[in-house]
Amino acid sequence: MASNHGAAEQRTKHHKVEGPKKHVVAFIFSILLTFIAFATVISGEINKDFIYVILMGTAFLQVFVQMAFWMHMKDRGHTFAIIGILFGVVIVFTAVIMAEYWVWW
Amino acid sequence: MSAHTHVEGQLPHEPEKATLEGRNKVLGFWLFLGGETVLFGTLFAAYLSLRDQVLEGPTANHLFDLMLVAIATAILLTSSLTSVFAIQAMHQKNVKSLIGWLIVTVVLGASFLGLEIYEFYHYVHEGHGFTTSAFSSSFYTLVGFHGAHVLFGIVWITLLIIQLSRKGLNVVTAPKVYVAGMYWHFIDVVWVFIFTVVYLMGKVV
Repeated sequence: MASNHGAAEQRTKHHKVEGPKKHVVAFIFSILLTFIAFATVISGEINKDFIYVILMGTAFLQVFVQMAFWMHMKDRGHTFAIIGILFGVVIVFTAVIMAEYWVWW
Repeated sequence: MSAHTHVEGQLPHEPEKATLEGRNKVLGFWLFLGGETVLFGTLFAAYLSLRDQVLEGPTANHLFDLMLVAIATAILLTSSLTSVFAIQAMHQKNVKSLIGWLIVTVVLGASFLGLEIYEFYHYVHEGHGFTTSAFSSSFYTLVGFHGAHVLFGIVWITLLIIQLSRKGLNVVTAPKVYVAGMYWHFIDVVWVFIFTVVYLMGKVV
């Protein structure tokens, strides 16, 4: 048992177990971005295009934060994961832009 | 409890990536999420094109209550954080804390779903049925698909909790937990776009 304990300690020395701090920071950041988005709409003073830019900006920033930290996308060995998701994103942008500008005009 | 000796004994660091099967599962799940992105993207495209076609039904601005959406957003965002804590507990080989955080995640997910059901029920009473207008159809399809994903996640993670309490944490169960965590984050990411594109943009006149 004692030797087991020693081995476990050595292992944690080699692989640092990450603490919750980074994720709590990401969470606070997400809450903050959400708050900015809601506050911009509720205040309703500024012009429409400006609100849209802020909304899309906060949304994409929040998705970036969550994917990088919570889904570990920034970690090593995620090349194919990024390619897979980016492939989906490209199709999504094509679909949205087509629907918005091509179908109605 | 043989599971506990196993946990303290020989479980490798990052057990979800310890086997080739585990690594393939994670990679395959990323590709699946790419496909899910396309599914939701096309639903968003349909909603964006049809959201002004309300016929005689209520408009988005008239219908949506931002307070309800803010509460739902806070719940889902918090559940995403608790699922991160679950994965961290898994990396520390702490099965009890892992199961605890997964239960918190499921409870938060269920309360989100409850809010959404209440919201839909309320909208139908306001005269916003599925077939009322192109806006209502695309709205219910998009938000309902997301709700169905939440429901699926709740069932999935509940089954994982049962399996974890029976079989403990090992190189077979660890990738399942990790992948379920990714799924839950993805649901949260989709919700970020739903509350932005559907609710907040709907309130901008």
